[in-house]
Order: sequence, then C-alpha cells, then structure tokens
Amino acid sequence: MAATTGTTEKTETTARTLGWAWVVLVVITVASWRLAPAHFTDTVVASTGVTALVLVLTYIKARVILRYFMEVRSSPRWLRIGTEVWLIVLLGAVFGIYLA
Amino acid sequence: MSPVRALTPDGYVTTADGRPAGKPDVRIMTWFFPLWYGLFGIIICLLARVTPPPRPDVSTADKVAFFSQNGLTIQLGFVVLLVLLGGAAMTNGLVAYQMKRMSTGSVLAYGYLAGMSVGALPGFLLVGVCFLTATLRPDRDPELIGLLYDLGMLSYNASLGCFTAAYLVLAIAVLYDRNNIFPKWFAYISVWQIVTEVIASQMVVFYSGPFAWNGSISFWVAVVVFSVWLGALIVILRNAAAAEPADEPDMD
Amino acid sequence: MGKVTVQQPDTETVAVPDGRLPGDVHMWVMVLGDLIVFSSYFLIYLIYRSMDPESFLRAQQHLDINIGSINTVVLLTSSLFVARSVLSARAGAHRQAIGFVYAAGGCGVLFMVLKGYEWAAKISAGHTNSDMFFSFYYVITGVHLVHVLIGLIVLGVVVRELQNPGRRRTWMVETGATYWHMVDLLWVIIFGLLYVMR
Repeated sequence: MAATTGTTEKTETTARTLGWAWVVLVVITVASWRLAPAHFTDTVVASTGVTALVLVLTYIKARVILRYFMEVRSSPRWLRIGTEVWLIVLLGAVFGIYLA
Repeated sequence: MSPVRALTPDGYVTTADGRPAGKPDVRIMTWFFPLWYGLFGIIICLLARVTPPPRPDVSTADKVAFFSQNGLTIQLGFVVLLVLLGGAAMTNGLVAYQMKRMSTGSVLAYGYLAGMSVGALPGFLLVGVCFLTATLRPDRDPELIGLLYDLGMLSYNASLGCFTAAYLVLAIAVLYDRNNIFPKWFAYISVWQIVTEVIASQMVVFYSGPFAWNGSISFWVAVVVFSVWLGALIVILRNAAAAEPADEPDMD
Repeated sequence: MGKVTVQQPDTETVAVPDGRLPGDVHMWVMVLGDLIVFSSYFLIYLIYRSMDPESFLRAQQHLDINIGSINTVVLLTSSLFVARSVLSARAGAHRQAIGFVYAAGGCGVLFMVLKGYEWAAKISAGHTNSDMFFSFYYVITGVHLVHVLIGLIVLGVVVRELQNPGRRRTWMVETGATYWHMVDLLWVIIFGLLYVMR
C-alpha cells in the first residue's frame, strides 16, 4: 500500500492509519452482528448489559470515523471538543432514556 | 440611530455607518419581508390556530367544538390572510430578485417563484377556505365539519412537493453562484428544509404518534428547522440588499 | 495556529494544539446541523421505544441483520476509499484520487441496492409502517438513503473537479469527503440503535 503522505503536510493521516481504522471498524461491526436481536431465532430478551456494550461499540466506531476519516483529530479545538461532547451527550441520552 | 428610524425601510437596510444602502425599491421589499411573515405568524399561531396544529386523533364532536370555540378568531385571522395573501407573492418575488442577481441565471429564480407560488394554494389558501367554510354554518352536519377539519390540516401540512422543488432550485442556485449573493451555508439549510418536508409526507397515514401532522418528528422538528431557515433568510436578504451597489444596472 | 512539519513515521499521532479544518467551513455547518437534526430523530425514537419496549424488540427481530451488517461494511469501505482519495488529491495524484472516488461511489450504489432489496423484502413480509418500530425504521433509513443519494451527487461533483486540469482544488475534495463521512457516521449510529441494541 503506497504511503502517499507528503512529508510537508500538516495533517499526519497516512494510508496505513486509514487502513487500520477501517479494520477496527469492520471488526466491531462483525461483533455487533453477533449481538443483534435478529441474530437469534427464539424470543430475545432485553438486556441492559448488551445495550450498554452496543452503545460503547457505536461510540468507538463513531469516534474513529470522526477522528480518522473526518480528520477531526487534527482540526481546530472547537471542533474536536464539539464533536466529542455531541457524541457523548447523544449516546448518554440514548442510554438514559433506555433505562427510564 | 433612533429605534423608530430603525423600523423604517431606510433604517432597516443600512451600511455600517447607518446610511441607507442599496436600491430603494429593494430596501422597501426587504423590510416588508419580515413584516409580512410576522403578521403571517400571528395569524396562523394566535388567530387561526393552525400552528401548532389541532390534534388529528380527536372525535368528530371535538372537531366541531374546535370550530365553535375558535370560530371568531379563525374567521378574523383567515379573512385578513385572504387579503394579505398577495404579500406572499411579493416576498417570493424579493428572493427571486436576489436569485436573478446570482451568476446561475434566471431560470432557477423563476423555478423558485413558480414553486412557492403554486405551493401557496394548498399551503394557505385551502386551509383558509376550509376553515372559513366550517365556521360559516356551525350547525352543519358534524361529519362534514370533521371532513373540512381534516382536509384543511392535511393540505396545510402535507403540501410539500411545490415547496420542496422551490428549496431545491434555491439550494442549487446558491451553491453554484459565483457572485456570492447568499452565503453557501444557506444552501445546506435549504436542503434540511427539503428533508423535513419529505418526512412530513408520513402524516397522511398516521393520526397519532410522532409522524402525525402534530407529531414530534413530522411537525415539531420541521417547525424548528423552518424557523431557523426563515430567520437566516431574513438576515441574509438584508445583507444582500445592503451590499448591492445602488447603481447596479437593472436586469430585465 | 500550530502547523507542524514532521518527518513521518508511518503510524503516529503528532499532537497539534490547534489544527486545520478540512474542507469548506460551510460544509461543516451542514454536517454539524445535520447531526443535530438526526440526533433529535434518534432521541424521539428512543422515547417512543421506551414506551413500548417489548413490541419494539419483537419487531427488531424481523430486521435482516445480515444485510444490515453488510451494508455497514460497504459504507465503511466507501469512507475508506474517500479518505484515500483525499490523500491522493493532496499528493497531486489526481487520477488515483478519481479512481478512489469511483470506488466509493460504487459502494454507495451497492448500499442503495441492498437497502432497496431489504425494504422490498420487509414490505412483502408484511412489515409496513402500521407497526411503530417499522415506521421509525422506514423514516430514519429513508432519510438516510436520501443523504446517500445526495452524497453520490456530491461525489460526482468531486470527480468533475478532479478531472478538470484548471481546478483540482484540494479543499473541494475535502469538502465532498466530509459530507460522505457524515453519511457513514450517521449509518453507524443508525445500525447500533435500530439493528443491534436491545
């Protein structure tokens, strides 16, 4: 895989970082595939533990996409903090409503 | 500048040091725009009570009660709207004028104008006529009154195709405009408008829940997005009018 | 603004105190606003779900998790291609960049085809929007699908930009990429909330 990063570039994203990010994302997706309700044929029971795990996995995936693909990692501070806060608030609220 | 002066067209569209800017006729229309929408807002929210909409999941007797309770303000509000409806055409004309100044040409401006104008028929006129018909003879068959209620509300809220087309040509024009009459982010807000309008189509199948015409997704999110869009439009119309050189040659 | 020229080892993270915004700031307005609008949809979905968790869970079991997972991988791959195309565009390798964009577009088309098949299967099996979960499912994935379609148009604009020797502005490619990644980001959350969590 060609490492097509210019040595004078400000951003340090390389083809290899992107490749690894993709691997992580796909692995998590496959793991989620096993956890999904539709994966089971008998009646599925709600599970707080599974949901918490799923939300954490979703958080990780979203964060990888934001920081590596969308290059938020090397973006201005307001964007880094803003996206971080948004993701935590959204998934936190989702979990909170789920528990209620 | 005194507050009173600021409320006049000359005080509304100004340069940084307070002098009236742009062309006089554009200035007047730019000032008229928020004025008309303010009036429109009072009519639909306070008088005619169609925004926020009355509930779809009520019985026929409730619908009759809605009309008898609000009959007077409905009649007042919609009669005023019938008279003022021409103002909508003028506000659309102002946006079309600014679109004609864009490098993307006149066709898109005419598309916007046409879309919005056609949309006004189901968008306001139909609900006004339906509701005025319902309040004219309160002792009419309740089923007919219920029909007018549903017909009015559905046409008011679900008449999205025309507006969607208008927002689409607006977004395209803004994105491709090299004269930067409107800022690019406004194109994206217009795209949101399209998305929420399309979602609103769900209200023809639901009379309760989040997708009904008063639902959290079909209505409330859409109304927030619309308010943002309209607020942004009022501000950028003013900026565009102020930035226009008074001696820019008129277009045909 | 802290700009750092670094001798690159291959995997690295050089901390940049205040960095550079990729692409056009207007697109970021769009992206952030869109994320907020979708967030409101997600939260409303959760609220309705918590009012009737049993029926939602039973309905969720009827989703095709295989297509859902495959579609997720398809979109993740398309994002990888788009990110690679940005790197190529920055390095001036515009033909390679165009190739990556086409690959991403192909993934996008595949996603839409799979989604269409998934919907057709669900509808013919009787899962229509008479069920609360499914009405959310169709609306949320439907709006997302519209975003994918718009994304394909955006990618087309990027290709045209790269093909034109007089342009090839990197920020245009970055702007298109930012939009596409947002589409991917939204799907990842949709997948987690609609398909997987219980």
